[in-house]
Amino acid sequence: MSAQKKRNFQIEAFKHRVVVDPKYAEKTWKILDHAIHEIYNHNASGLSFEELYRNAYNMVLHKFGEKLYSGLVSTMTSHLKEIAESIEAAQGDLFLEELNRKWADHNKALQMIRDILMYMDRTFIPSTRKTPVHELGLNLWRDNIIHSSNIRSRLHDTLLELVQRERTGEVIDRGLMRNVIKMLMDLGSSVYQEDFEKPFLEVSADFYRGESQQFIESCDCGDFLKKAERRLNEEIERVTHYLDAKSEAKITNVVETEMIKCHMQTLVHMDNSGLVNMIVDDKYEDLGRMYSLFRRVHNGLSIIRDVMTSHIRDTGKQLVTDPERLKDPVDFVQRLLDEKDKHDKIISLAFSNDKTFQNALNSSFEYFINLNPRSPEYISLFVDDKLRKGLKGVSEEDVEMVLDKVMMLFRYLQEKDVFEKYYKQHLAKRLLPGKTVSDDVERSLIVKLKTECGYQFTSKLEGMFTDMKTSQDTMKGFYASLGPDVTDHPQLTVQVLTTGSWPSQSSATCNLPSEILGICEKFRTYYLGTHTGRRLSWQTNMGYADIKATFGKGQRHELNVSTYQMCILMLFNSADRLSYREIEQATEIPVLDLKRSLQSLACAKGRNVLGKEPMTKEVGEDDSFFFNDKFSCKLYKVKIGTVVAQKESEPEKLETRQRVEEDRKPQIEAAIVRIMKSRRVLDHNNIVTEVTKQLQSRFLPNPVLIKKRIESLIEREFLERDKVDRKLYRYLA
Amino acid sequence: MRKEDTVKLISAEGFEFVIDKKAAMVSQTIRNMLTSPGSFAETQHGEVTFPEISTVILEKICQYFYWSLQYASGKETEFHIEPELTLELMMAANYLHT
Repeated sequence: MSAQKKRNFQIEAFKHRVVVDPKYAEKTWKILDHAIHEIYNHNASGLSFEELYRNAYNMVLHKFGEKLYSGLVSTMTSHLKEIAESIEAAQGDLFLEELNRKWADHNKALQMIRDILMYMDRTFIPSTRKTPVHELGLNLWRDNIIHSSNIRSRLHDTLLELVQRERTGEVIDRGLMRNVIKMLMDLGSSVYQEDFEKPFLEVSADFYRGESQQFIESCDCGDFLKKAERRLNEEIERVTHYLDAKSEAKITNVVETEMIKCHMQTLVHMDNSGLVNMIVDDKYEDLGRMYSLFRRVHNGLSIIRDVMTSHIRDTGKQLVTDPERLKDPVDFVQRLLDEKDKHDKIISLAFSNDKTFQNALNSSFEYFINLNPRSPEYISLFVDDKLRKGLKGVSEEDVEMVLDKVMMLFRYLQEKDVFEKYYKQHLAKRLLPGKTVSDDVERSLIVKLKTECGYQFTSKLEGMFTDMKTSQDTMKGFYASLGPDVTDHPQLTVQVLTTGSWPSQSSATCNLPSEILGICEKFRTYYLGTHTGRRLSWQTNMGYADIKATFGKGQRHELNVSTYQMCILMLFNSADRLSYREIEQATEIPVLDLKRSLQSLACAKGRNVLGKEPMTKEVGEDDSFFFNDKFSCKLYKVKIGTVVAQKESEPEKLETRQRVEEDRKPQIEAAIVRIMKSRRVLDHNNIVTEVTKQLQSRFLPNPVLIKKRIESLIEREFLERDKVDRKLYRYLA
Repeated sequence: MRKEDTVKLISAEGFEFVIDKKAAMVSQTIRNMLTSPGSFAETQHGEVTFPEISTVILEKICQYFYWSLQYASGKETEFHIEPELTLELMMAANYLHT
């Protein structure tokens, strides 16, 4: 007693009273038995706790524990049998209420009995390994009430019926439900599972199987999903209201299986309302619902993903192969971007930015963009269009955004080197006439390309910018060297382009008009004087000129034309009428360019400084041209655009393709040599894989092509075949 | 002190000790007596009779209750027990589950 630590000592009888009365035990038990009856009859107020406790205490001390215990069992059992009868007698809805009330009574009585028999609970029960009073009370309740044949099935039917009624929209007494379910849980998890959970799950499965069958026949996909989601939430709510929390996973699994898993394929492919329709109509809410429901089910997301992928691939394929779309490259690329935006939005709004979906989207785009061999060209044309005019008056952030999107498409390209080729051409066409909107934007795009593909990829593009800059300085130097008497000459601006950096267009130089030949010669002398050992050739196909012209009624205009057009127009200084053949002879402009130049001079409405006979849209070889005296225009400066072939014509395309193929050869060879240098010996298949890996940031090399390059390298004695194993190659240093 | 917060303990000889409920509840038996859900006579009247505990012992027990509260709150002092009381006190302790 002196400290609370020393507790568990056994002690002999409190009072040294020798029990002489043989009926002592019987008498004492009578008192306790009576008390238990009173407790069950709600009559405890007259009882003295101390007295009862003391009696029980003494019984245990006097070795009548066994009698006390068995007496308790039989008294409680007989009470429970009475209770069972009264519960069985309850009619209809009162049944559950009666059960619940009696349960509460029993619990309270049990608590009181346990309290007065505490000494037995503490000493007698542990030493004889009997069931403690509280547990005993629960077990007796279970055996006599819940498992009594008349109550068991009725209870389980009533509970399931209530759940069913709630499912069909009726309001039930959830408090009562909760109490009864809680009772089952208190009686042990096996009671809850056997007597309620198991049949509950079975009945639920049947119910949802039937309901979903009915829904799938009568609802569209979106509605079905809405209903399934509602049912799922209802069940989760039900669990929080009156079921064991552990049942949540089980019942949701039932709903998932019956309502979703069994119908996934049907739902996804439903006519007019399935996944594809949702994607097409941007139904973010429905898609989001589908995502969150399907993700609960094994394989659910992969079904969505597969259908989405094949849908994107199909529509993408249609888009890139539709000949109607291919007519306008800018629109084509814009559509690709729109398509990408659309799906990005779906993934972010409905599919919670799921990484696997993003990957699926990317691979689909990669797949169909590369279906069209002209995609690289078109993307470059799109950029060209934006950089020429599309970005005027657009804020810097928006510009960046457009560029980033383009870069995204660029990343999908397999033939990045083809893109580079076209980009170079288009960049040249922007830089030389100074048609680019903003140097900053141009440079920012190059930086992006550089981070994407490395220095090598953009070095030539950067070289083009450097050339432009040096040319400015060169021109300053040139005019300074000419001294003050420059005003007589036509102004000449020369851009010196490094061969290799610029798209090589090996076109023949045309005959320049004598008026400017002089100054051209002066520049040649000046340039070669300052840079010895260089070679200059005129790229007349890339230049442009501003010329002043006087028309009838003294109207003066400044005409902005290409170098070819300038050459043609200068001819009309000495003649009023010239035939096509005469022009061709005098200028020696290549046929295709000549026709284009003439077409834009004579056939463009409002820009026709020349007249043509006959008045047709196309330029024929027998046409003749005359100076259009009646030309008039509101503006002083008139810009005469060349009819530029926006897209490449078929022969040009083939040529570019050939040049790309040609460029690839040294790249493949370089890669082979690099690999062999480090590996010394390697078999054919491995070389092919390694080369493909090294080059895939630029293009996907064809294995046949690689084989040809290897053969060529063997011929040139960089490599040799192994003498024993012909599949092995050896590097020759 | 309000009446509800106290409890009257009565010894075999009829001596009454009025002490805090809080102190009395150091005994697990008295705690059950006072908190059991049914209203036993003890709960209703706020008094408990111990016909088998003498006044001397009950007094000592009441002292122990208060000492125990102090001890639990960190004040570590000795609780002095006269040797001649030891046996009876220990038996009472078993009874009261203290």
